[in-house]
Amino acid sequence: MSTLYLDRPSPIHRLNPITKLIGVLAIILLVFALPYWWAPLAILVLVVVPAALLARVGGRLLLVGGAILVPLLLVVAIGQGFFNTRGETILFSIGSFDFALEGVLFAAAVGGRTAVLVTAAMLLLLTTHPGKLLSALSQNGMPPKMAYVISSTLQMLPAFRTRADSIILAQRSRGLKTRGNPIRRFAVLIPLLSPLILGVFVDVDERSTAMEARAFASTGPRTALEIVKDPVGEKVARWVVMLLAVGALVVSFMGLYPEMSWPL
Amino acid sequence: MTDIDKPADPHRTRNNIFIIAGTVVVIATYLYLILAQPAVVDENFNLNGTGAIIPLAGYVIGALLIAVGAINRLPTTTLVLVPVAILINIVVGQITASLGLPLYLDSIGTILVGVVAGPAAGAVTGGLSNVIWGLTLSPLALPFAIVAIVIGALAGWAARIGVFRTYWAPPIAGIVTGIIAALASSPISAFIFGGATGGGTGAIVQAFQAFGNSLLASTTLQGLLSDPLDKLITFTIVMLILLALPSRFKQRFPFVRQYNVLPGMKKKASTPAA
Repeated sequence: MSTLYLDRPSPIHRLNPITKLIGVLAIILLVFALPYWWAPLAILVLVVVPAALLARVGGRLLLVGGAILVPLLLVVAIGQGFFNTRGETILFSIGSFDFALEGVLFAAAVGGRTAVLVTAAMLLLLTTHPGKLLSALSQNGMPPKMAYVISSTLQMLPAFRTRADSIILAQRSRGLKTRGNPIRRFAVLIPLLSPLILGVFVDVDERSTAMEARAFASTGPRTALEIVKDPVGEKVARWVVMLLAVGALVVSFMGLYPEMSWPL
Repeated sequence: MTDIDKPADPHRTRNNIFIIAGTVVVIATYLYLILAQPAVVDENFNLNGTGAIIPLAGYVIGALLIAVGAINRLPTTTLVLVPVAILINIVVGQITASLGLPLYLDSIGTILVGVVAGPAAGAVTGGLSNVIWGLTLSPLALPFAIVAIVIGALAGWAARIGVFRTYWAPPIAGIVTGIIAALASSPISAFIFGGATGGGTGAIVQAFQAFGNSLLASTTLQGLLSDPLDKLITFTIVMLILLALPSRFKQRFPFVRQYNVLPGMKKKASTPAA
């Protein structure tokens, strides 16, 4: 499977996937509930980073999360720094453009949330085998059809990518140019797409017959091959964490957090 | 018609309730965002928490309800098509990116399934594509699942009213779908991510803001710049693929037989599916 999962011996890996999912949801709720610009940063440093280190996936999280977040945050910080309408405290100027502190704070506020969203979700994906996640979700009421679609897509993805690559190589060896101006490159897409798409639709027919012969559409209760362990302690922890996060959110909705002005 | 074509759906009412509830949640969220336009950050650089959690929760819960309701309505023949269509979305999207084209082309599978198997199938393909995208590439795709659901459902409805029977209507339907997709996705980029959704698109949003547009206006303009063209091309490609598909394959789908959706087919309203 071409997912983000890393197999490491760690207490976080051993947790029930539902517990981790609830943990991620609680972190996201908390980051949206707390109104302070520094709150996402604090959660990142105090919760996400220690959890990543405990799970021994810190390096990969930095790599994969950074690849998504760095370009995104840079663009927002540069754009807001120069063009935010509230810019007053000028840090430096390039030509007639002033780079203001207020824009960077705006970027930190909105970018910090996105950063927590991405890293927390990634922590779940890095430490949880997708199969185990789907088993746990189906045992907790996810429709089996949905579990089928997600898991079979994940399993077919590497083979499908190989197929796409070999079609590209085959067409190139017949003289297809995949470089040049945009219209030319677009024209290249069609000879790549038709063999790829027509090819995969052919075996769909037999698959549905085979699955139907094995009672796929049966609506009765299902049994699980792999029972995901769910200790009582984790169940309790899930409720506590969720209640705390929802509590933080309720306080936020009621507007009870003390107002703080910059720098706090 | 064989047995596996029959939508084995003993919980039809329950599934419809899921779909209706999900739609209501999504529309309510959308109206709240458009009418209230909550500030993302206030004058003291405090974040507006409630303004961002409502779109996040509303869109994710709504998308989930619609997807659960719709997937249970699909017969097995349609369901096995969904993973293949998602793979087409992802791989073609990546090939497009690697060719350096200024397009996404990441919804060909979604629209193809919507056309041959109906709005519910298209919606499921779109929604789960974003789930797979979120699981394998970037979690940022998850809040946008509702946009993909809308695109898939629109493709199905377009096919039902006969858009794909002609050769000139699919590009127009593509432009309309693109405009709706842009309007649906812009509040998500604006209020959940503050315009920070990606390097390239993010830069365009920043540029629009630099000209004095509001955040929501900037993300909407960015969407309108890229989505209609992207969907125009996607719908055209899907039409070309439909022309190339073997007719044995096309005739397998009850939706195709019932509504005669494909190029060259005549409108025959009186023919029942059986």
